[in-house]
Amino acid sequence: MDKIFFYDPLTDKLISYKIFLDHLNNLNHLEKIVYHSDFYEIFLRIVSSILYNQPIILLDYNLTDFEIKELLGQINLKDTVEIKFKKVFNEEDIKNLRSYAKNWEIILFTSGTTGLPKRVSHSFENLIRAVKVSEKHKDDVWGLAYNPTHIAGLQVFFQALLNQNSIINLFNVNRNLIFELIERFKITHLSATPTFYRLLLPVEKKFTSIKSVACGGERFDNNLKLHLQAMFPNAKIINIYATTEFGSLFASDGDAFLLKKEYENLVKIVDNEIYVHKNLLGKSVEINLVDDFYPTGDQVEVIDEKPLKFKILGRKNEMINIGGYKVNPLEIEEALNSHPCVIMSKVYCKTNSVLGNILIADIKTNSEINEKEIRIYLSKLLNSYKIPRIININVNDEISITRTGKLKRR
Amino acid sequence: MEKLRKIINQIRYNKDLPEIKNLFHDMDLRNDLGFDSLDLAELTVRIEYEFGIDVFEDGIVLTVGDVIKKLEKINNG
Repeated sequence: MDKIFFYDPLTDKLISYKIFLDHLNNLNHLEKIVYHSDFYEIFLRIVSSILYNQPIILLDYNLTDFEIKELLGQINLKDTVEIKFKKVFNEEDIKNLRSYAKNWEIILFTSGTTGLPKRVSHSFENLIRAVKVSEKHKDDVWGLAYNPTHIAGLQVFFQALLNQNSIINLFNVNRNLIFELIERFKITHLSATPTFYRLLLPVEKKFTSIKSVACGGERFDNNLKLHLQAMFPNAKIINIYATTEFGSLFASDGDAFLLKKEYENLVKIVDNEIYVHKNLLGKSVEINLVDDFYPTGDQVEVIDEKPLKFKILGRKNEMINIGGYKVNPLEIEEALNSHPCVIMSKVYCKTNSVLGNILIADIKTNSEINEKEIRIYLSKLLNSYKIPRIININVNDEISITRTGKLKRR
Repeated sequence: MEKLRKIINQIRYNKDLPEIKNLFHDMDLRNDLGFDSLDLAELTVRIEYEFGIDVFEDGIVLTVGDVIKKLEKINNG
């Protein structure tokens, strides 16, 4: 049987590398703007744009017409370029994609959890900075748990494509089907947000085919690591720090990151916030630099100065002010998640005339527990002003997530 | 009044304080009910969920009677 390129349970498309090449070789037009719900169609358009060296704009299918107009102005989404000199590509061309991507660029938008999405453009080299191609990776099978119109999904895509691996879509797929697909396709590699993994809990089963589990996009905690180790006993667990603006930057096996020597002068901490030098950013980014450094908005706790070692605490703009005290909702979620009955939690605030804000927690539990028991538990871990005053237990069936698979806070 | 008593008792229960059987207008929220500022914030939000009004929005609310007055204003107006 031909090697599988992509399987998507949502469309039931099973595409081999051979069919993928056929489709590439039969294209007559290139789309300038990619706006599709079908992930396969997105991949086909991205790869063809590279092979013909045509810049491309990638839009999340969840963006509304209004948002697209705000981002791009009045444009024709169906704008295409005719392929005048058709070429015939083979598997070698896919492996050597880099040589075709000399002037290619891709425009993406951040998820915009804190406002309108931001436009970021990347070169091929920048996009695949963290991609590893080698013999060792030739039999990897990837579970795609990110939206491929965002950077993390693209990185998974290129990691798999450049090693000619099979990709199985798990994004927006329900948990039982995810478990079935992991076993059916013997998926070896997963990369997802902590929220994605938490939504899989509780899991009794062990998945032995998984060799590598990467977490990114949100704060990682050691409690999650324990769950992952139990679920995937043969896997190496990796925590990745990446953003749309500069791709992957740091990796670690726990919640603390150690700065690599090569980044020594390119990353600094200012007022507990990570600043990244513009040389590590995508090609052109609509952001304000401070002395050539980009303030990421990510707050850290410095563990060691030299070499720099730090832990991510949360987003600067996610801090909540409770009667003058700054509270990090992630810290409270972590405390809640450490309770054996709690599978998942979301902490947010509601404005209030007495203290400015009041903390509210929505939690999902695996057994019966009441608000008071949770509060007593939290009081052993947290200061009283950090304890949510309203705790909704299993009120909302689904704790909502953003289009990039992160926990939605607003 | 009964709904308000329930809300107050829920907050007291979470603080390990005994249930209040009867609510009186002259009861002081801080001194008689033992509420601190975090509890008062919780009280306003729980009242807002139940009645759709922020009782602390304008002016000082010290007693149970003050809260009831605010709630009656809404019911009558």
